[in-house]
Amino acid sequence: MKDPSLHPLAPDYLKRLKKAARRLPRARRYELVGEIEAHLIEALPAGASEAEARNVLDRLGEPAEIVAEAGPSQLLKAPVAAHEWWAILLLLIGGLVIPFLGWFIGVVLLWSSRVWTLRDKLIGTLVLPGGLATPAFVFTFVAASTGSGNDNPGGGVNYYLTLVLLGGLAVLPVLTAVYLSRRAARTEAAA
Amino acid sequence: MQRIVDQGTLSQLRRGVIEYCVLALLRDGERYGFELVRTLSEVPGMVTSEGTLYPLLSRLRRAGVVETSWRESPSGPPRRYYRLTASGRSVLEAFSGEWVSFRNAVDHFLEQEKAV
Repeated sequence: MKDPSLHPLAPDYLKRLKKAARRLPRARRYELVGEIEAHLIEALPAGASEAEARNVLDRLGEPAEIVAEAGPSQLLKAPVAAHEWWAILLLLIGGLVIPFLGWFIGVVLLWSSRVWTLRDKLIGTLVLPGGLATPAFVFTFVAASTGSGNDNPGGGVNYYLTLVLLGGLAVLPVLTAVYLSRRAARTEAAA
Repeated sequence: MQRIVDQGTLSQLRRGVIEYCVLALLRDGERYGFELVRTLSEVPGMVTSEGTLYPLLSRLRRAGVVETSWRESPSGPPRRYYRLTASGRSVLEAFSGEWVSFRNAVDHFLEQEKAV
């Protein structure tokens, strides 16, 4: 970003700020970086001396410190959102309650939340679409097909192998749920 | 033995009240971010780093006690102006009342301590 109204020291500061702010949800990151940039444009004329510029940046504070302050308000706490907990729950078992649709509502809640970053949302959606309903569905399918094919001598081994694979498949959505709730709790505590 | 005031306690106190100082600055009309930040940091002992005030303004906006709108600036890019909402005004009023009795209570004990 080559802005003629910025002091030569400002872009480096903004770069560090953007890097520190990566953990914030996108809208919040844009807002913060935009405000700090506006501050620099006003406080730091492009022709300011290096000493003046360093004073302005010192008064502004370290980027990491500013991002850390994007934390919870002491006295004006936003109500703890049930929204996020429903999203996690529906992503995990929604598909078991109402096939497909339950999970899909979870996805909508996940993406409409401001707590998670884009990466969190992608993980929440793609690490096992369907949640626990997917291994459950595959299990019933496999059980039905091996039940009818009992005369196959290799069927037993295949059956247990499939069970192990399904077990692994069932762990994925659980891990995702744990991950999402940790990220949500972290944002609640730190953002 | 000399004891130094715990910086953590002081910064907690500042954190607790600075939001209300922002609301108070907006009592008589809207101001833009940089203006608010400079006004607050000109009073010694209130702000340790100016940059941390911007996330605070964002929180106030999300809490619905202030609202913002963009205005053209006579020089440079448009500015985001902050203004009190009705809810912000009542939060400020409630706090102002509480603050007076809190301050009096603390003073009461501090002065008593001195007199002994």
